Amino acid sequence: MGGILFKRTLRDLKAGAARYIALSLLIIFSLYLVISLMGAAYTIIDNSERSDKELVTEDGEFTVFVPLTDEEINELTQKGITVEEMFSTDYRLNSDQVLRAFKVRTHIDQIGLVRGELPKTDSEAVLERRFAEENGYEVGDTIELAGQTLTICGIGATADYNNVVRNLSDSVVSSKAFGTIFVMPDTYDQMLSSGNAIASEEYNYAYLLNGAMTDNELRTILEENEFDLRDVRDEYFLDYWEEMTGRKDELLEGIDELSDGANELADGAEELDDGVNEFSDGITELRDNMPDLVDGTSELDDGAGELEDGIRAYTSGVNEAATGASTLSEGASQIAQGASTLNSGAQEYTAGLSQFSNSVTAMTQSQDPYMAGVAASLKDPVDSLNSGFAQISGGISELSNGSAELQNGAAALSDGLGTLSDNSSALVSGANALHDGTSELADAAIELSDGVDELYDGSEELRDGTGELADGARELADGVSEFSDEANDLIDEVFNIKTRNLRMFLPVCDNPRIGAAADDVVNTLSASIIFGILLVMLFAYVISVFVVHNIDSDSAVIGALYSMGLKRRTLTLSYVAIPVLVCFVSGVIGLLVATLTPFGIAMQMQDTLSYYSMPDVKVTLSPVLYVYGLVVPPVTAFIVNVLVIRSRLKKTPLALLKNERKVSRGKDLKIKRLKFIDMFRIRQMLREGRSALTVLFGLFLCLLIAFLAIEVNVYCSRVKTDFVDYTNFEYMYTYKYPTEEVPEGGYEAVVESFKKEIYGYSFDVAVVGITEDNPFFDTGDLPDNNTDVVIGSAMAYKYDLEVGDEFTLEDSSNDRLYAFRVERIVDFAASFMIFMDIDECRELFGEDDDYFNAVFSDHALDIDSGRLYSTLSKSDIEKTAGIFVNQMSAMIIAMSVTPAVIFVVVLYLMLKMMLDRSSFNISLVKIFGFRNKEVRQMYLDGNFYIVALGSLIAIPLCKAIMDYIYPRYMVNNVGVGVDSSYSMSMYAVIFAVILILYLIISSVLVGRIKKIDPTEVLKNRE
Amino acid sequence: MFIETKGLKKSYGEGGSYTEVLKGIDLGVAKGEMCVIQGTSGSGKSTLLNCIGGLDTIDSGSIAVDGLKIEALKGEKLSDYRRDNLGFIFQFYNLVPNLTVRENIQVCEYLSKKPLKIDELLTVLGLSEHQNKFPSQLSGGQQQRCAIARALIKNPKVLLCDEPTGALDSKTSREILILLEQVNKQYGTTMLIVTHNNSIKNMVDHVIYIKDGEIHKDYRNEVKVPAKDLEDL
Repeated sequence: MGGILFKRTLRDLKAGAARYIALSLLIIFSLYLVISLMGAAYTIIDNSERSDKELVTEDGEFTVFVPLTDEEINELTQKGITVEEMFSTDYRLNSDQVLRAFKVRTHIDQIGLVRGELPKTDSEAVLERRFAEENGYEVGDTIELAGQTLTICGIGATADYNNVVRNLSDSVVSSKAFGTIFVMPDTYDQMLSSGNAIASEEYNYAYLLNGAMTDNELRTILEENEFDLRDVRDEYFLDYWEEMTGRKDELLEGIDELSDGANELADGAEELDDGVNEFSDGITELRDNMPDLVDGTSELDDGAGELEDGIRAYTSGVNEAATGASTLSEGASQIAQGASTLNSGAQEYTAGLSQFSNSVTAMTQSQDPYMAGVAASLKDPVDSLNSGFAQISGGISELSNGSAELQNGAAALSDGLGTLSDNSSALVSGANALHDGTSELADAAIELSDGVDELYDGSEELRDGTGELADGARELADGVSEFSDEANDLIDEVFNIKTRNLRMFLPVCDNPRIGAAADDVVNTLSASIIFGILLVMLFAYVISVFVVHNIDSDSAVIGALYSMGLKRRTLTLSYVAIPVLVCFVSGVIGLLVATLTPFGIAMQMQDTLSYYSMPDVKVTLSPVLYVYGLVVPPVTAFIVNVLVIRSRLKKTPLALLKNERKVSRGKDLKIKRLKFIDMFRIRQMLREGRSALTVLFGLFLCLLIAFLAIEVNVYCSRVKTDFVDYTNFEYMYTYKYPTEEVPEGGYEAVVESFKKEIYGYSFDVAVVGITEDNPFFDTGDLPDNNTDVVIGSAMAYKYDLEVGDEFTLEDSSNDRLYAFRVERIVDFAASFMIFMDIDECRELFGEDDDYFNAVFSDHALDIDSGRLYSTLSKSDIEKTAGIFVNQMSAMIIAMSVTPAVIFVVVLYLMLKMMLDRSSFNISLVKIFGFRNKEVRQMYLDGNFYIVALGSLIAIPLCKAIMDYIYPRYMVNNVGVGVDSSYSMSMYAVIFAVILILYLIISSVLVGRIKKIDPTEVLKNRE
Repeated sequence: MFIETKGLKKSYGEGGSYTEVLKGIDLGVAKGEMCVIQGTSGSGKSTLLNCIGGLDTIDSGSIAVDGLKIEALKGEKLSDYRRDNLGFIFQFYNLVPNLTVRENIQVCEYLSKKPLKIDELLTVLGLSEHQNKFPSQLSGGQQQRCAIARALIKNPKVLLCDEPTGALDSKTSREILILLEQVNKQYGTTMLIVTHNNSIKNMVDHVIYIKDGEIHKDYRNEVKVPAKDLEDL
């Protein structure tokens, strides 16, 4: 059964030969590329490991001021450590080439010969491979160096200069300008004595731990080694030493002043503490009395309130009394009036009574006795009446007088009360104002109380603070005292003739010169593996689209076979056979091309070999390559296709027989208010979602590869331009033994080197203290403190630093960290530099006010080379800047063309597949009368929007992914930082290229639409 | 009975689109019988065939083929049932387009432990000279013969034919029916033939007429008309 169905598979393969061949070629090319890159990586890694063993790569190295004594070497040897001299001296071969001369090694970091042999005579030398290649030297050639005529007897490489950088802090190799040379010991000494060295001799040793101890343990031992100044022969060092020792007294004096100052500070702080304590006690008392004050003012306020109320009541009484007095006055007036009337009546009555009395008296005189008797009897009563009425009249008169007085008195009383009433209003206002005043006083007393509470809290804190200040000041004084003692000891130690000999200790893991090639290709290896799998997945998925198309076409047949008992597994295997077969065969061919042809591994590793210096490299065929070439493609194809077609073959036989199609969500979208063509186009896009998805997946992968190429290109181009453009000085001299005076025409600087780690690698970062008038760095005003710094652009890009960020630098030799904050960023790309004011820099690193160890200039300066560590010239930078572009250009082109080809093929196949699937429908719409242009709009043009929209999403996405991946995994071992952003025009170009490729393919497929014959398709219906 | 259904019900859809296609079919087909299932379009005859063939599930009732209850079978066991017992012939042949006649037959030969001899079958079906041709190179009758050969190679107990002559002209239809008649005689294969052709009922042993999902008529011919003598095909 399997055999029969396999025949069918082969015929399917034959029928779709063109598309399968196209895909196969892509897979072959992709796998060839990936496997050859992987093979090259494995070869480099394997050869590195092999040469590490065979040529005995060091475990580390260290540099000393004075060569180790025999006793010191013996001591290390007895402890199980192997040590070998690696002394070196730099010589200029011609104006712009420097060779670093070494004695031929005997045990560690031995020379791996590529051609020729090791020196046997004093006139022979082995030249480092990359320098020889770049400058066209061959075995048998002669060179003139340091007064010696040397015949090149061999060309080779050593592990300690795998990455042939002149200085450990250099970020780029320039083998055109710098290399190493190995001569016999006597020749080395003769060259040294010629005085032609451009820098002092470096006393470097390589070591092997042999499992006897760790790097740190060895370092501790070496740190204990001291050297005797009397053994030093380097005149520049001796000058420097003499200058240094002259400063001992200054240092000691400064420390004493510091100690005195600290003691005074402590005394002052204690006095301040006492004063604050007294102040605080006063505040405490004030605080304790405040409640009484508050209560008193409160009571005063209450009294004022009561007084105000009393005055108001009094005023009211006065008013009422005034009213009463007025009434009284009116009553008195009426009484007076009544009394007057009464008086008038009384007078009339008196007159009448007098007449009556007179009449009575006259009557008594009457003759008539009766009358006289009667009159006599009346006379007494009338007299009494007269007398009584006289009294009444007197009373009335008094009443009248009294009432008049009463009236006068009442009027006077009323006037008096009126005046009193007027005055009592002022009294009320006064009482009111008094009450308001006492209320405010009470509130003020409460606020005062709160204020006193706060004052109390503050005074307590002040008391604590001044207490701590006093304690701190005392501790500072004690600390300064201790420091003074220790500093004195240290100064004694430093300025002693015997002092620490170790200048630099570098374990192999921290050495950027060693193992760099293997490190470099590890990332290539990872990227190749991932990209390879992604590409195979893409191609497998493309094939699966064809398979699904076949399944859909064969639906009824499959249903019939199922009906008769054929099992899904059997059919599945028959359908995945094509993708598996195509991928397997392509994988085999790709593997063969990669491993057996000169265009494979051998060619791919040239990139590495043309940059790093390695001994002869033999291609290593790792078993992983065979697995990758033979197993990964078919297995990936199998998995992808099984996953994709499983659901198709899962249908029931009946569903297959009826060719039932599930209407998935989205495909039944209700589209209204659109023109027919637009509506149809959308439906077509939804119907062909799988193919569209494949196109987008392919587009994404291709863009990812393309962006890698662009990223590499931008990176290399910017290195080339920025290194040069941002370097304004012509020379930078770094001193080993600084002079007192700055050379004429130079700008002094203080340069201190630190380490900073990022993405698993540590790079040298230079803190550069410069003067304000330094014209070579556009730093603006430098901050007047030693924590805010201006950083170079390379530093900012590599470490992703922005203004305001804080970062630390590690001083590994002293186990210290320095923290800084970015004040500003300036253009400088050639190395990682941060800038600060030279005085702040001196202060930070405890150097004298006139100290400097580097000089920048715009022309060559006359400085004794023996005093210098290194000289960096702009021409050196120019030479190194273009290295990456030259090295990577072929790769950039390959990585740009490859995704374009993949995209074109995948897009073409998918669009063609869409048309093939719709050929029956196209024929129908043609019969209906649709023109080719309309058919194109309906069936093809929708893809334009998919591609355009997909590009608009994928372009920024791929850029973001690449921005994340590239610095972390691709150039994480490269000490370079450049701006990786693109201009908008670059994005526009990428977008335009995609659309142009699409339009080309689309125009090709328009021809295919034209070829679809309606009647023919209908004839082939059954 | 070799094939027996009891109370077989089958419906499609829900709510407003609910349709009861089979409304309790009781039938029995004897071993070696040629049975025609007739009915108008939409009467449920193809659904009945699909249910017996295990291609469609049933709502209720039972189906037994050679004593095997198939309504309970699922997955692999259902495949095995079809593999061991059934051969299918479809109206539109459903041949694998890029396999030759012989290879199309070999596909099903693989499925049987005791297949018939392919050459003999090719001869019987008149396909020997066409055995290396692809389906597209054959006429409709030849393709259907190839489909019959593919169905017979397994020597199935039951041959289920869904409109086997539906896509053929009269002459070719007769040839196919003669062939089926011949196969029935030669191999004793029980056949269920769904057709709307009224003449075919005269050549078979047993006729079942389905109307609106129910058996309207179920009878056996006392006299059969040989296929070669059928009229109005």
